[in-house]
Amino acid sequence: MSNQPDDQSAPTGIVLNIQRYCSHDGPGIRTNVFLKGCSLRCKWCGNPESIARKPEIAYDPKLCAGKKECGLCLEPPFPEGAFYVVEGAEDDKVKVNWHLAADCDEALASLCPTKALEMFGQTMTVDQVLDEVEKDASFYRNTGGGITLSGGECLLQPDFSAALLAEAHSRGFNTAIETAGNVPWSFMEKVLGHVDTMLHDHKLTVPERHKKWIGASNTRILENFQRAYETFPDIDFIARTPLIPGINADEEHIRAVLAFVRPYKNVIDYELLPYHRFGLGKYELLGEVYELDDYKTPSAELVAHLQAIIDEAFGRSGQEPGGAE
Amino acid sequence: MVGAGYVPGINAVAMGTALAAGRLGWEVVGIRDGFDGLLYPERYPDGGLLTLSPDLVANLDPTAAGLLGQSSRVDPFHVRQVNDEMVEEVDMSDLLLSRLQAEDVDAVISVVGVRGLSILYKLHRKGLNAVCVPRSIENDIAATMVSFGFNSALSFTIEMLDRVRQAAQSARKVAVVEVLGEQAGWIALQAGIAVCADAVLIPEIPCDLQAVAARLNDKVTPRRPYGLVVVAEGAKFVDDAKPQEKPSSLKASLSPLATGDASEHVIHRSGQAAETVASRLQLLMAEETFPLVLGPWVRGGAPTAVDRQLALGYGAGAVRAVNAGLYGTMVAFVPPDIKFVPLAEAINKVRTVPIDGEFVQIALSLGIFLGREL
Repeated sequence: MSNQPDDQSAPTGIVLNIQRYCSHDGPGIRTNVFLKGCSLRCKWCGNPESIARKPEIAYDPKLCAGKKECGLCLEPPFPEGAFYVVEGAEDDKVKVNWHLAADCDEALASLCPTKALEMFGQTMTVDQVLDEVEKDASFYRNTGGGITLSGGECLLQPDFSAALLAEAHSRGFNTAIETAGNVPWSFMEKVLGHVDTMLHDHKLTVPERHKKWIGASNTRILENFQRAYETFPDIDFIARTPLIPGINADEEHIRAVLAFVRPYKNVIDYELLPYHRFGLGKYELLGEVYELDDYKTPSAELVAHLQAIIDEAFGRSGQEPGGAE
Repeated sequence: MVGAGYVPGINAVAMGTALAAGRLGWEVVGIRDGFDGLLYPERYPDGGLLTLSPDLVANLDPTAAGLLGQSSRVDPFHVRQVNDEMVEEVDMSDLLLSRLQAEDVDAVISVVGVRGLSILYKLHRKGLNAVCVPRSIENDIAATMVSFGFNSALSFTIEMLDRVRQAAQSARKVAVVEVLGEQAGWIALQAGIAVCADAVLIPEIPCDLQAVAARLNDKVTPRRPYGLVVVAEGAKFVDDAKPQEKPSSLKASLSPLATGDASEHVIHRSGQAAETVASRLQLLMAEETFPLVLGPWVRGGAPTAVDRQLALGYGAGAVRAVNAGLYGTMVAFVPPDIKFVPLAEAINKVRTVPIDGEFVQIALSLGIFLGREL
């Protein structure tokens, strides 16, 4: 991916990552495009680098050459105190004072010769993104796949998302979005006209609990979802819940979501995302899997029990609910 | 201004500041709840600033809870807000500085920990006349021998360890007690010395649990059928077969400023060090082990005599720094003096236990095992 858009007049977006060969976020083989910026703050968020709307500096200590070999970031033009070395430490790799390093921009990050410092997020045009997506066009045709916009919250960049998906449609790709729905309806409406499948999160049911764990009430989210089901009957809606034991991995929540979605025939499925799947490889890349996984991974029995409730509600044959223990 | 997290003795700092400033004829106001009193004055019917008048501080109980309240986040560069139901972090540092100016505040004395020092340093570089007072339960702030709050936590930890020892003695088990100390093992080491623990495991000395078990097997006998292991929450293991945890990798690899404190995005696993050590020792020993976690218990309560004196002294010292125009500094106890060190010298360092230091030697002399042969 190039660093700057070629055509300054084209709609641009802040893209965090483009991930090819995905198979869980819509039909067929897909390319997921992660946009930067989120309007919620889930306490269990596994992608904190996706939350801020603007590009931000990141540091990979594994790539750092250390003070003896390099030490460039310890001197101007890098902000004083933003990077430092701990005397007497096992190695001389640089540490980051995030409070002081937050103001570093792409120009500073580019000075790091080993790429230990890099920017999360870059500005891209529709064509730049689709040039990447296009690389797997043959897979899409054979599997019914295409492009999935994810995030962060892709609907926070409605103009870019709408333009991107419209162009994807014109190239014959299936389009999907992954959203938590916490945006003004006008944002959602603008994008949904170009969407084939909408994967949407039902994280928590009770508004007060939603606010506590996720940072904002779910009142508008539910209004948006309901309005989307009614306004866009041709979209395949798939509800999702990231299952966090002790927070939302319980029958009450699952049944409340089912009661919300089942009246709408275009809600074709309700998927459970056991906690460790959340992040789709990001945890692995960052060595974070075991930490959250160990702490609260829903048991296979619990997931099976909750899944059986969903299967029953959708009229699918599955095991009878009631045998969680 | 008081940073996030309660530490015994905060009122004493306010007292020391107000009394010393009063003698100079200055008016002192406290900002409620971190910087919230200035950034969100509408939340406070009686105003976001509290005048620390001589009358008020004369009747102030230095052992009571913090007069100025607390805020969980004190970073004006990244203030979380919900606008139109959408959450975002905004930079309110300019607003903060303008409000301080509007209130005719000449200088700000901030009672802060490690993170707060960096924030105040950044504000100082932006023009704020700042003097910091170090507060730390773990005593991990560099450039000062001791931060206030540490002695109170240490004293309570020792009291609790004495009780745990009795419990272990009566149950004939090996108690594994986790105490505060993510990066520095001062509480574990000094408390462990005070109660003559069998082993003390601190972050500065990666431990070999096989060696710990071997030592305990020697010490735990039919005549003394119990043991006491003190483990700092940040203890490290030489083999790392089962790493304790790596929340630090998230902190190190990603910008927590994207989200505020990284801790808000990592479900903390308080007690994991004790669990890990207890479960692994039990596999290596005949005796039964049991984990206990002191954790945040030690953060509350009244300050000890040492912390009361220290906090009063730091408060009064901060006024001296302001009077001398020594902004961008931290008040530090460098025996036998109170000194003012530039914030740049206090940030980006952690005051850890030196392996060749006196406390380690004392522990070894007392027969306390420190996780591996030294």
